[in-house]
Amino acid sequence: MNFVRTPQLKLLGAILIVFGNNASFAQLDRQAFNSIDFSITVDQQLTINSNDGSTQKNQTTIQPRWDADLSDSTSLTAIGRARLDTEAKLGFSGSNAHVDLELRELYIDAEWAGAYWRLGKQQIVWGQADGLRVLDVINPVDLREFILPEFEDHRIPLWTANVEISLNEDWTAQLLLIPDQTYDELPDRDASFAIRSPLLIPTAPAGIPVTLGQTDRPQRLFKDADAGARLSAFLGGWDVSLNYLYHYQDQPVLYQLRDESGITLAPAYERTHLLGGSFSNVFGDTTFRAELGYSSDRFFLSDDGNDSDGIVSSGEISYVLGLDYQGWRDWFVSAQIFQSIVTDDGGSLVRDSVDTTATFLARRYFLNESVQAEALFIQSLNNDDGVLQASLEYEWSSNIRINIGADIFFGSSKGLFGQFKEKDRVSAGIEFGY
Amino acid sequence: MNTQSNSSSLKVFFQLLVDRPKTVVAISLLIMGVTLSFLPQLVKDTRADTFLAPDNPALLYRDKVKEQFGLSDPLVIAVVNESEQGIFNPATLSLVDWINTEVDQLSNIDSDRVVSLATEKNIVGTEYGMEVTDFFDPVPANQIEAEFLRDAINDFPLYLGSIVARDGKATLIVAEMVDELLAEDTYAEIMAIVDRAPVSADEQLHVAGEGAIAGYLGSYIDADAQRLNPLAGLIITLIIIFAFRRFSPALTGNVIIAASVLMTLSIMAASGVAFFVITNALPVILIGISVADAIHIYSHFYELQARHPEQARKQLIVDTMLDMWRPVTLTTLTTMAGFLGLYFAAYMPPFKYFGLFTAFGVLVAGVYSLVFLPAAMVLTKVQVSKYFIGKRIAGKSDFFAQLMSGLGHVTCNYPRTVIAIFAVLAVSGIYSASFLVVDEDRINTFHPDERIYQADRVINQHLDGTNTLDIVIETPGVEDLFIPDNLKKIEALQVYAESLPFVRGSTSIVDYLKQMNRALNDGDIAEYQLPESSDLVAQYFLLYSASSDPTDFEEEVDYDYKLANVRININSGSYQDTKGIVQNLEQYIIQEFNNDAIQANLSGRVNVSYHWIKDLGESHFVGVAIALFLVWAVSALLFQSLLAGLFALVPVAGSILLVYSTMVVLGIELGIGTSMFASVAIGLGVDFAIHTLDRLRSFSSNLDGNIDRALERFYPSTGRALFFNFLAISCGFGVLISSKVVPLTNFGVIVALSVTTSFLASLTLLPAMLKVFQPAFVNVSKVNDLEKGGSFVRVATTVLAIGLGGFFLFPAIVDAAETPSADEIVQRVNDVDDGEYVTRKLVMRLTDRRGRERVRETFGYRKYFGDEKRSIIFYESPANVKDTAFLTWDYPDPEVDDDQWLYLPAVRKVRRISASDRGDYFLGTDFTYEDIKLEGSLQPADYNFAFLGEEAVDGVVTYKVQSQPKSEAIAKELGYGRTEFWVDVSNWMVIKADYWDPKGEPLKSLTISDIHQVNGIWTRHRLAIENHKTGHHTQFIFSDVDYDSPVEDGVFTQRSLTRGR
Repeated sequence: MNFVRTPQLKLLGAILIVFGNNASFAQLDRQAFNSIDFSITVDQQLTINSNDGSTQKNQTTIQPRWDADLSDSTSLTAIGRARLDTEAKLGFSGSNAHVDLELRELYIDAEWAGAYWRLGKQQIVWGQADGLRVLDVINPVDLREFILPEFEDHRIPLWTANVEISLNEDWTAQLLLIPDQTYDELPDRDASFAIRSPLLIPTAPAGIPVTLGQTDRPQRLFKDADAGARLSAFLGGWDVSLNYLYHYQDQPVLYQLRDESGITLAPAYERTHLLGGSFSNVFGDTTFRAELGYSSDRFFLSDDGNDSDGIVSSGEISYVLGLDYQGWRDWFVSAQIFQSIVTDDGGSLVRDSVDTTATFLARRYFLNESVQAEALFIQSLNNDDGVLQASLEYEWSSNIRINIGADIFFGSSKGLFGQFKEKDRVSAGIEFGY
Repeated sequence: MNTQSNSSSLKVFFQLLVDRPKTVVAISLLIMGVTLSFLPQLVKDTRADTFLAPDNPALLYRDKVKEQFGLSDPLVIAVVNESEQGIFNPATLSLVDWINTEVDQLSNIDSDRVVSLATEKNIVGTEYGMEVTDFFDPVPANQIEAEFLRDAINDFPLYLGSIVARDGKATLIVAEMVDELLAEDTYAEIMAIVDRAPVSADEQLHVAGEGAIAGYLGSYIDADAQRLNPLAGLIITLIIIFAFRRFSPALTGNVIIAASVLMTLSIMAASGVAFFVITNALPVILIGISVADAIHIYSHFYELQARHPEQARKQLIVDTMLDMWRPVTLTTLTTMAGFLGLYFAAYMPPFKYFGLFTAFGVLVAGVYSLVFLPAAMVLTKVQVSKYFIGKRIAGKSDFFAQLMSGLGHVTCNYPRTVIAIFAVLAVSGIYSASFLVVDEDRINTFHPDERIYQADRVINQHLDGTNTLDIVIETPGVEDLFIPDNLKKIEALQVYAESLPFVRGSTSIVDYLKQMNRALNDGDIAEYQLPESSDLVAQYFLLYSASSDPTDFEEEVDYDYKLANVRININSGSYQDTKGIVQNLEQYIIQEFNNDAIQANLSGRVNVSYHWIKDLGESHFVGVAIALFLVWAVSALLFQSLLAGLFALVPVAGSILLVYSTMVVLGIELGIGTSMFASVAIGLGVDFAIHTLDRLRSFSSNLDGNIDRALERFYPSTGRALFFNFLAISCGFGVLISSKVVPLTNFGVIVALSVTTSFLASLTLLPAMLKVFQPAFVNVSKVNDLEKGGSFVRVATTVLAIGLGGFFLFPAIVDAAETPSADEIVQRVNDVDDGEYVTRKLVMRLTDRRGRERVRETFGYRKYFGDEKRSIIFYESPANVKDTAFLTWDYPDPEVDDDQWLYLPAVRKVRRISASDRGDYFLGTDFTYEDIKLEGSLQPADYNFAFLGEEAVDGVVTYKVQSQPKSEAIAKELGYGRTEFWVDVSNWMVIKADYWDPKGEPLKSLTISDIHQVNGIWTRHRLAIENHKTGHHTQFIFSDVDYDSPVEDGVFTQRSLTRGR
């Protein structure tokens, strides 16, 4: 079971006590409980590996949700999730290979002291890019199925204090404190989508044994908490934001310690400052989006065998430019270009110092939007690999949706996408919502 | 003294104009420029329907029938084969099939309403009952099959005369349009088909019908106007140059013409008045009138300059204006009075507007002549031609002055003879007026050389006629039309109708029943009669529907068999030929037909035409009377003598009587075009009399009342100017004679004739009368004259004020008494309070054609921030769209796109989205973004609205209004080619609307129910919209509507989107 960790639960209790003094909580009476709204979705997905015909996943996801209005300006939301998979090939980190229970979100929304608070376990998304992460790094992700599932499903909610304050008519400030040391969940080594790309996993020369050491994981609730701020505004037709986040990167740096006995991997989480901004505007039928970020301390694998720890430390600039076109009835077309630039590569990076990825999305609605067909194409311009995700979803009735899809990887098996080219899959599913 | 101050203040005024010429010219041109900005909004409307007020009962009933039976004015294509076999040969029949297919594919042609041999069905009896087969099943491939078809048609009386000529030499393809306002394009498309049709030597194709007439008339008239107007301008320019031997008067004259014509058309556009068929005459008339004042002013100036070449130009201009402002004001007011007579007397909107706006144009010309012209004269350094100075020095006058002096000699020497000649002419005019015939036939609008004119003749000769009269039969109960007694009454009505002259045939459900009866009785011709019992009738219809499309009869009978239509074909469209039919049928229906079980009413094009022509004669004579009275009243006031007013009338009254005699002699009927001549003739003709009286009075008072010496001075000066004035006007109207629009030709002839008569009478009869009768008003002393000058200003100002007041007030008074205009209705709808803010729940039910339903529950807020409107909507269920939210900031400036944001819970992100194209469908519903945004209001920036009449919808009295996108681009953008909506008159809420796509196909129908007040604000609670193309429909159900609880500004932010509240 991957349930709530105790420190955070205590924190929530403290928050509840603080707010309990407020009039809004005093109204938490029978009437308030009467306004609890319960909804649930049940999603059944079957995924077949199209390369070998094996079943990759046969998973039922049950997601109950409670929304309770505590007063006019205060509400409580709780979302749970149960995943049951007959196959267990994705590498659950749960207690049982087939079952995973999780409290996804639990937060309280309140208007207090002239500000808007959302306290508790939640997801927060920054930035304007779709699928590509420049500023959207607050929440870690679950990489059991690489990047294939919807973000909503593979982003890991964190215990967060989130407050938004309207500074004036145009400007809003958001302050975040994230005392939650949960990071990306990586699949097990033998799982379907285990990471193998040398871009991410150091490779050792043949014959040299590699041992995995203890991971250096931050432990201190507040001292190791992430913190951030965002200023956003709507100015002259432009949506703009300025973002700052001081955070632990969600994937550990794989330091390689070399001695006679071989190489010992010593994973450690490292902190960085992230400074960035985003803006978007609409020109006729076209939406222009852009997002830029600078991380002060990033760590990359080195290909220099003599490097002391196999890691190069550098700053990184990354940005996304995107265009969405909605000029054709029932169509949505979007193209993005993403670039990551290592500012101080020292000439020994495994990856290229400038890495470019392009995405193209075409979506078409049919029959009063009851049918949605979509194709998403992601291409790495450095490694000539990529993925094509195609899907068709039919809203059979208010409560039932049926979908089919295919995910096809291609390119060099050393690339981020190409590493999964044996994992192409087709899927079919049905989702009930009540 | 008052008098002194009046004339000196005028002097100061004109002095100011000549001292600041550039400013005056610049301001004049600026005003013109600003007004002209409205001109592009002018719309053309050539439909015959425009001649009736939109609330005319005949028109309303016709529209109701149109809707009930889907009948409209058709385009008729005739295939004629004069060879021995006629059209019954394989080649001609496949030509019919080819044309039918081509026509069917046109976007504005209603595919269900194309009728020809290729679409119609034969009813034959079989062993098992009845078989309904297509005549063209297949298209006859050889002569034997063609002959079989001939026999089948001959055996089916219904089609003889209506689709196939009785002699077999011609057949018709009758096509109805989806949108009659697009008739012009559709006609052009049909003509293109006809031109490329594979026609053999024996075959001829003709296109006619009311649909074609309306379609062709627009471009026909356009072409005509584009030829006439420049020609009129050119001729007048030449006349001015010829008269003054100078170019600058022609230039300034043309500026005044432009101001008058273009500003009038712009004001028409700004007031939303369309350019009708007869509006075509307006520019030509204004060209003639507006230049007249300039001719007189220039003429007087040159005369003064020739006499006093030593004087400063500016001084001479001021002197000229001081002499001329009075006759110019006088003629402007009297001409306006003449046209306002038309406005007051006419009952047809195009005539009313014609009178009103021509009067406005005359006013503009008058004002520009008095203000702009003197300034322009300074700037153009006007200088009399040396030719005139030479003549003056030599003590001679030019040819035209001599000519006029000659006329003066005759008048002075034989005044009694002159009076006697005119008296004889007047008496003969009164006598012949009683022989005037009122008639109108739309086809006669076209020149006889036109293809459409000839097509109409050919079709009316071969077939039952292109003109239709509908008789609508109404019964109280469902299936009452199965009752044999009712059917027999209809049969008798048809027999009676067919006995009337010019009626060539009729069609109703009775004919089909007779044919079915015959088919079921072995085809025995004796059995071509009505079945004897209601049960049989019911069975026949059942049998028919078993083997064919049940909608085949929708033009003849309604779904419940309560209403039926009898369509009568008439081979003449002339009022004189058809009025007997309408009158006789009306009488027959009242006396023989109507009872409690069955009622009939007339409708259709012929009936509508009858109703608008029948009052034409009366309206004409009332118009003449009103115009004469107004002109008399204005002249009498200005001359301060009732008798002077009467004298001023004599020449125009004489000219009108002469025109009546001429019309009778030439066989010209009093129709649409000709009926308005009188007001025009009075307005124009009276100018000559006014100038004559005013100048003669002025001269005679200067000459101590010596009328002979006054006349001697009058002819070479004012007489000469009047001659060029006359020349300009008569040539302007003379141009109309070359028009290809026949009514305009006739109009041109008779106006030219009446103006000539007025001119001659003013220069002969009027002086003769003054000389013989020596009326007191001519002999005013010099002192009195000055005094009169003072009071003249007062009187003229009063008349002008009253005139202008009436001009602007009268339409308001009339409109207040009538139903409101479409624009007023729209304004009222848009004025309905929708609260500063609102909170509400909305359930959307989306149902596809198979009945599968998707339901979304939402809540939302809306608030006005000044003129800016912000709204937000949150999805609550189903679970898989929960938290989706949509925010819109809608700006008042239509040029500024809305800002929109969408929050998608799946990505947990607010996405900025482009303002959806307004015609895009809102989140899978059948409402477009524009529909949602407008929330029941209407957008005048996008549409032209037309009032279609009053109608009861489920017991609610409504105004029905049509909205037509202002351009094709707007239609495309909105996805609507046309909409019609019904407004509840009690609360100004739209309760129903129909939408057509830009191709004219029915698109959607909206019904709004459960409208009741919430917090004192009328609120729509239930909207149901169905898309006819996809079969999908959407229901919006609003609840918990609250206009009282304040909504915070912060609700309409991106933060609120992400937080779901």
